[in-house]
Amino acid sequence: MEICDVLVVGAGFGGPVAARKCAEAGLDTVLLERAAVPGEKVVSGLVIPFYGFTFGPDFIREGNPPIERPICKVVNRFVRHGEIYATDSTLRVPKPLVLGYAAYCKPFCTWLADRAVEAGAELRTSTTAVEPILEKGAVRGVVTDRGEEIRCKVLIDAGGTQNRLAIQAGLRRKYLPEALELYMIWDFEMAKEDVDETFGLSMEFFHALPEEGIGAPLGYGSTLYIFTYRESIHPGLGQFLVTRGEIPNLAGLLPRYFDNFQEKVTRWRRDIAPKARLRAVTWDVCPIYAGLIPETRNMPICGDGILVIGDAAGFEASAFGDGVPSAWFSAELAADVAIEALRRGDTSRSALAAYEDKVREHPYITWIITDWRRWDLRKVLVSGSDTELRRMIRDHWGIGAFRYRYSGRPLVKALREAMRRDPRAPLKWIEMFTRYYRNWEENRFDPLSVPGKETG
Amino acid sequence: MEIRTSDRFPGVEWVGDPGEFVRVDESRCDGCANCVRVCLAECFEIKNKKARVRSLAECMECAACWYVCDKEAVIFSWPPGGTGFRTDWG
Ligand SMILES: Cc1cc2nc3c(=O)[nH]c(=O)nc-3n(C[C@H](O)[C@H](O)[C@H](O)COP(=O)(O)OP(=O)(O)OC[C@H]3O[C@@H](n4cnc5c(N)ncnc54)[C@H](O)[C@@H]3O)c2cc1C
Ligand code: SF4
Ligand code: SF4
Repeated sequence: MEICDVLVVGAGFGGPVAARKCAEAGLDTVLLERAAVPGEKVVSGLVIPFYGFTFGPDFIREGNPPIERPICKVVNRFVRHGEIYATDSTLRVPKPLVLGYAAYCKPFCTWLADRAVEAGAELRTSTTAVEPILEKGAVRGVVTDRGEEIRCKVLIDAGGTQNRLAIQAGLRRKYLPEALELYMIWDFEMAKEDVDETFGLSMEFFHALPEEGIGAPLGYGSTLYIFTYRESIHPGLGQFLVTRGEIPNLAGLLPRYFDNFQEKVTRWRRDIAPKARLRAVTWDVCPIYAGLIPETRNMPICGDGILVIGDAAGFEASAFGDGVPSAWFSAELAADVAIEALRRGDTSRSALAAYEDKVREHPYITWIITDWRRWDLRKVLVSGSDTELRRMIRDHWGIGAFRYRYSGRPLVKALREAMRRDPRAPLKWIEMFTRYYRNWEENRFDPLSVPGKETG
Repeated sequence: MEIRTSDRFPGVEWVGDPGEFVRVDESRCDGCANCVRVCLAECFEIKNKKARVRSLAECMECAACWYVCDKEAVIFSWPPGGTGFRTDWG
């Protein structure tokens, strides 16, 4: 049996950030990951929005993580009878600024875990935390699949959506299926010149009324999108485990939406399919509406000896499905609270409760998990109005997204806070955007402890 | 460790012996087939009005089956460390 200061469970997007910060503060930190290589069991979109980079951990901004493509523009296609009858590409920024960076999970999470190890955290891969060790209701560590006990003073649960540790500890309950979206993702190889020519630095959405059959009923899932990578494209779509009060036959529906899209939509058949070759099919669930459903939103995120971050805490953007920035933000907040608690020698529930306040006060987290814009698309199902659909999409994935009542508010608040802390912050952001862009152009990133994918 | 692949779901590998990490407790199952409806890998089937695990060979460890079973008849756990699905393209 061994005792560490902080045990972080999960080396996905959030865990390594928490582990690095704790290790940097001199705490004896262990990072557990059930996969053999960090990120190889994480399935995601993935375009990580800019605000994760500007307002997230310094070391990410200052480092050179493996990104697949800077995304500067959102192209919204409106589809009827397979044809595009309108396009809204009002949401755009000039390069090297971005709306987000596309990435594959395995190299990105490996890069993050490398940074935790570099700071002194001990990473143990191929190790699953099976159950928490509980003493008088307090979490004191975990038992692993090898039967070993790892004891800790604070456990940071970064196990993602399905992790059961906080449930076994009696802190949380499993997510209601209404809160969860099942996403299916198809990865296609495509020559870089073809991605450049067909998409440039944009990602594309295909919005349609339900009769088109290329996606979930509006508000009950994620519109079919194509995220663009260096030499591949990554289409995906999703639907909630409960749709209009019922559990739909998603096993049939999700593949059928994509088949219909491939057969019917001219943009795909003519411009994309001839250049693309299917490489991978994956899926996962994510707690997109966790913040909109009171029972789920109100579940505790800390207890005696335990702090819960990222997807395990339900921090996914309800309107967009972004979860990486909140995993990073909550990881840093949890680490700060753990460090302070250990300094004072008190890791009880009341000492750790500062984490709840920090999450509540954070400019982004609470705001993005309670954003009704996607849910409200359900109104279009009733009205069937194409004008209403286009107006709502403009406020969601178009220029209207930056209005103060939408994404403008957290942005202004975060900008103010960042500048108060460091008046030179904007210069650092510009430096980062420029360097990331150059890294992408030169295809040169920090080396990884586990070599990345093989293409071809 | 042994590595398996699937024609239906390319780009994914299944490593080693993950064991029966998803199971059905027949005494709780009422045969509603919710688990069947959400499993993209067709891991479940209904036999004699009860769900049973047909095969976990293509399971992506998403836990959708566990979330939709309000009878708590689906028993979901992680496969032991390092086994089960993995992908370079997630
Ligand atoms: C299909 C899809 C598309 C998405 N698209 C986007 C997007 O475009 N942009 C965006 O920002 N976000 C997106 N997200 C959300 C984003 O992927 C998550 O919010 C993010 O990964 C959460 O980080 P996390 O650290 O909380 O969990 P994860 O990144 O899931 O990491 C959890 C880690 O813990 C490990 N683990 C779990 N339990 C245990 C255990 N008991 N013992 C040991 N290890 C354990 C897992 O193997 C995993 O490595 C998407 C999600 C999905 C599913
Ligand atoms: S969802 Fe649960 S109760 Fe329904 S068939 Fe499956 S195991 Fe049985
Ligand atoms: S975890 Fe997902 S893929 Fe595996 S059996 Fe359950 S629903 Fe199917």
